[in-house]
Amino acid sequence: MKNYNLKLKIVRFFFVFLTFNFSFLTLNLSQALAIEMNSSQYRIQMSNVNIGAASQLQSDNGNLLSDTLGQTAAGQFSSDGYILKAGFQYIHSIVPFSFAISNININFGEVTPGLPLTATTDLTVSFGGGGEYQVTVNELGKLKTAVGNNYINDTCCDLGCSDPGKCTETAAAVWNLNTTTGFGYKMSGEDIPTTFTTCGPTCYRPFPDTSIPEDPAIIMSSPNVTVDLSSKPKDIYHQSTMTLKLNISDIQPAGTYQTVLNFMATPSY
Amino acid sequence: MKVQSSKFKVQSYSLKFKVFKLFFVLLIFNFSLLTFHLSEANAQQVSLAISPPLLELVIKPGKSVLIAYKLENRADPLIASAKVLPFRPQGNLGNIKIEKEFEGPIRFNLDNSEIKFEQPFFMKSGDVLQLLVRIRVPEGSPEGDYYYTLLTETQPPPSVAGSSAGRAKATIGSNILITVSDSGRIDVKGKIALFDVLAKLKLKILGRVFNFFESSDKIPVVLVVGNQGNNLIKPQGSINLRGNFGEQANYQIISQNILSNSERLTLATPSAELNCQDKKPSDYCKQPVSLLLSGFFIGHYTLSANVSFGQSTPNLYASTSFIALPLKLIFGIVIALFIGLLIVKKFTKTDED
Repeated sequence: MKNYNLKLKIVRFFFVFLTFNFSFLTLNLSQALAIEMNSSQYRIQMSNVNIGAASQLQSDNGNLLSDTLGQTAAGQFSSDGYILKAGFQYIHSIVPFSFAISNININFGEVTPGLPLTATTDLTVSFGGGGEYQVTVNELGKLKTAVGNNYINDTCCDLGCSDPGKCTETAAAVWNLNTTTGFGYKMSGEDIPTTFTTCGPTCYRPFPDTSIPEDPAIIMSSPNVTVDLSSKPKDIYHQSTMTLKLNISDIQPAGTYQTVLNFMATPSY
Repeated sequence: MKVQSSKFKVQSYSLKFKVFKLFFVLLIFNFSLLTFHLSEANAQQVSLAISPPLLELVIKPGKSVLIAYKLENRADPLIASAKVLPFRPQGNLGNIKIEKEFEGPIRFNLDNSEIKFEQPFFMKSGDVLQLLVRIRVPEGSPEGDYYYTLLTETQPPPSVAGSSAGRAKATIGSNILITVSDSGRIDVKGKIALFDVLAKLKLKILGRVFNFFESSDKIPVVLVVGNQGNNLIKPQGSINLRGNFGEQANYQIISQNILSNSERLTLATPSAELNCQDKKPSDYCKQPVSLLLSGFFIGHYTLSANVSFGQSTPNLYASTSFIALPLKLIFGIVIALFIGLLIVKKFTKTDED
């Protein structure tokens, strides 16, 4: 009887152990996201595509334009009254222009005077066709509190705002000192402005402010076609990292400071 | 009776034990389900793709066309909106500056039933939308070029209370180049604005400028083509390299658009490649070039550019030259000779002593 009970206990223990393992191994599998369900060979689309009716696809002179719907390849059609070319005519590629930001909520948490904080976000541009592109950034106003009119100035870097060698919206300068306050950023990686590569890894510059107004600053650009016309495609992914830096002085009023950064990626022409 | 009662107690105890075990297993199961199946706490991302990235249209006044753009959301769900704004070329590297306000005679509408310009729409992860953009040129629109960008911008994430942050919104664009022409005739007025080599050593001798290079250096060539007409043009042609020993090489110009009243650095291929991501990037990375020649050059070389803008258009011609000398080799030989002479002199002196 005792032997039977022991066997039963062992069986039960194994049952519990197996259940635990099963649940751990089965339910902890990574998610099969819909976005991964495609390749160069197939694509599973579940979105509703608004295909136009025939009447919608007629041009003013009565010619059917149905073959333009969903057109992604470089091509040309002509008709009375217009000639249309889609894509870059010197390259035959259907890879679209894409832009990604790895973190759109760039959080600094609690800010302490004299202790600079940094946060990063990655920018990725993919372009299988022409390859020429630019990414610009600007801030929609300074970092400011939702209530009241308190704001954090854009940084002038270590030399200070009165020095001609200060960092500007186009030129980076060294920001090493903990006594230097303000809000700024630096870039590293591919296709970044030369001011960051020549100045060094501790160089920052302020964001252009649309409320002043100032023109957006180019943070990534490539004048080179990313495809070797004579052979295989080159690297079509261009990635850079933006490091944002924030530091405040002792007299900065307490509060939560926020702003919106506008990243704009456009292909060339 | 007592035996039966104790038997019943044992059975009841066993039942309770079974129920307890069942609950225990159920709890482990739920615990593992809830604990290990939590999704990763990833940062909120945005990733948009648009196709086609460029549209060129030559159209008569009074006509309209319908274009289907494909917009894809490759990251987290988002709220976005679409609009069209004019742009103008900035610099000569193909960059653009988007204007703040809409202007020009061209009319843009979305033919989608559920989406309108400047009205927010929702996209799930992996969603692919077709934006049916109707481009209409009203009767009487002035002839000329009009340049626009179809922009799709996301809304920034909601603010997090109690935390200072920069909230990002992403905008992706696709350029639309429209030439309005009643006759279909294009105004071609191109010129070669600059054709030169970027030499580190330039010497002016008897009124002529000589470009000097070290033989093993890469030769950066710059070709800037200007457009003084009212319509965009596409340069065609080649850059030709001819050496003093009769050697030749030909590099085709990439037919990129040059917008009206602007200039553009024209690229040629194949060209030498540079790695500009190094900690100490090459000097050539500081300034974009049309063509980078690599090899071992000795003597006088002539570079010529032949540019045309399609059939029945005049050919433009420009040339430049450079002299390549093996300066490093010569310097090395001179140093070696100098050291050799010193040694010989020293040995001669020792022998005399």
